[in-house]
Amino acid sequence: MENNFMIAGFGGQGVLLAGEVLANAFMLDNKNVTWYPSYGAEMRGGTVNCEIVMNDIEDVSSVNKAETDFIVALNQASFDRFLSKVKKGGWMIANSTLVKQLKPRADINYIFAPVTALADKLGNVKMANILSLGVLAKISKLVSVSTLEKALNTVIPPHRKNLLPLNIKALNLGYEYDLSLVNA
Amino acid sequence: MTECLIETGKKVLTKGNYAIANAAILAGCECYFGYPITPQSEIGEFMSGKMQELKRAYVSAESELAAINMVIGACSTGAKAMTSSSSCAVALMQEALSYAASDELPIVLVSVMRGGPGLGNIYPSQGDYNQATIGGGDGDYKIIVLAPSTVQECVDLTYKAFYLAHKYKNPTIMLADGLLGQMMEPIEYKEYPYPEIDNSDWALTGAKNRPAKVIRSYAPSADTQCEFLNRLHAKYKLIEENETEWEEINTEDADIILVSFGSPARNAKSAMKECRKLGIKVGLLRPITLFPFPSKRIAELADTAKMFISVEINMGQMIRDVKLAVNGKVPVKLLNKPVGNPPSVEEIVSRIKKESEVL
Repeated sequence: MENNFMIAGFGGQGVLLAGEVLANAFMLDNKNVTWYPSYGAEMRGGTVNCEIVMNDIEDVSSVNKAETDFIVALNQASFDRFLSKVKKGGWMIANSTLVKQLKPRADINYIFAPVTALADKLGNVKMANILSLGVLAKISKLVSVSTLEKALNTVIPPHRKNLLPLNIKALNLGYEYDLSLVNA
Repeated sequence: MTECLIETGKKVLTKGNYAIANAAILAGCECYFGYPITPQSEIGEFMSGKMQELKRAYVSAESELAAINMVIGACSTGAKAMTSSSSCAVALMQEALSYAASDELPIVLVSVMRGGPGLGNIYPSQGDYNQATIGGGDGDYKIIVLAPSTVQECVDLTYKAFYLAHKYKNPTIMLADGLLGQMMEPIEYKEYPYPEIDNSDWALTGAKNRPAKVIRSYAPSADTQCEFLNRLHAKYKLIEENETEWEEINTEDADIILVSFGSPARNAKSAMKECRKLGIKVGLLRPITLFPFPSKRIAELADTAKMFISVEINMGQMIRDVKLAVNGKVPVKLLNKPVGNPPSVEEIVSRIKKESEVL
């Protein structure tokens, strides 16, 4: 089976890193995976996204997908831009701290989670990206929190290892967040 | 830090550019000379740290022109040396490529294509198919060109680039695109699988206690130049006979054969499989070497296939080689994106459906 994901947001929100953690997790689960970024003249504060294609049959995945199974939108601009790209019956997972809780399309599923506010409460607003991976793991059921923890350990470089416990906390906070609070 | 790992026999998630750099080091590259340009700057960045760590040579050159001429200098001593660059900067290196071909030097150039012509942009492109396979230097020369399609192939073909360059004493280009350079996939570094080539008969290593050797791009008489060119082209013929490489799937009974290299070949492969599910007989031929191009095989397939479609990220460059091989036997069509990410699977499938209706 093939599933594809997109993580999108402002430059600086850790969009590419979150994607790299997810891709590493799939690799640890022995899946074939391809990660690629939007690549242009990007800058801090501009929009950025990466796509992850996970596949457990084919050895080589196609890229530049017309439709996406799961999109994580960390800001309003990404929500607006990529809403039409969600596959029918797919999922739009939005950061409700920065994204208005509107559901313009009736043929997809929406999950709103205030990941930026939660990260702020945790003590580091930069954790919003990893929090959203926790939400994604819960919704998609395609990757476990324990594999994502291992992937975090792989991706976080040695000189930043002091941040690993906080990242793991953020991941679990995202996974355990009661979605019924904002998705009645 | 995935980019700093050089561990063999273990899966690591790695970017194409880092994979190429790591593989070059494992292939025994002793000298890297380069000048940064997007979308391949990670290669030079990685080399700047790793080569020094390994006590090998790294020079951040003052220009692309300087970089490639430094590679010529290093290679003339028999060293494994390389540079990496992109499109408009590879354009600056064309004169040196012609000289290196004429001097029969094993230089390795990694060209990660971006949008052109001119300064263009930094989006993925295959606009330098012609630049690599035909080239802009003077005279009758050929460059060996290898085209990876996955990050694992970025490793495997970098090994091969060093091997072929030294085996045939010929400049060799690794032709990737911006998408592949920035893409991450799980890969495995194996040990360099090729034998080391003896270069003691030509490498300039100091003439103490032996007669001097000369590497020179100059033939003072018409006769010597004729002799030289004939010998050079006998070598190219040998390369064509021995080293042509391609991947071929479902071509035996195919009505339509997609021809595609690099990252678009991935989508062509998926589209081919989709079409097979719909009962449309589609095959794929993916050239891995662009020179030598699998012309002979395409010519054979032109006897059974009813149409070829060349899938590229440019305005149609490889299609010329496909047409030459098909030689008018059946139609050869183009499915292209001028620049950016490759045509999507959906686009390729819908085009195939349209073409198959009128076959």
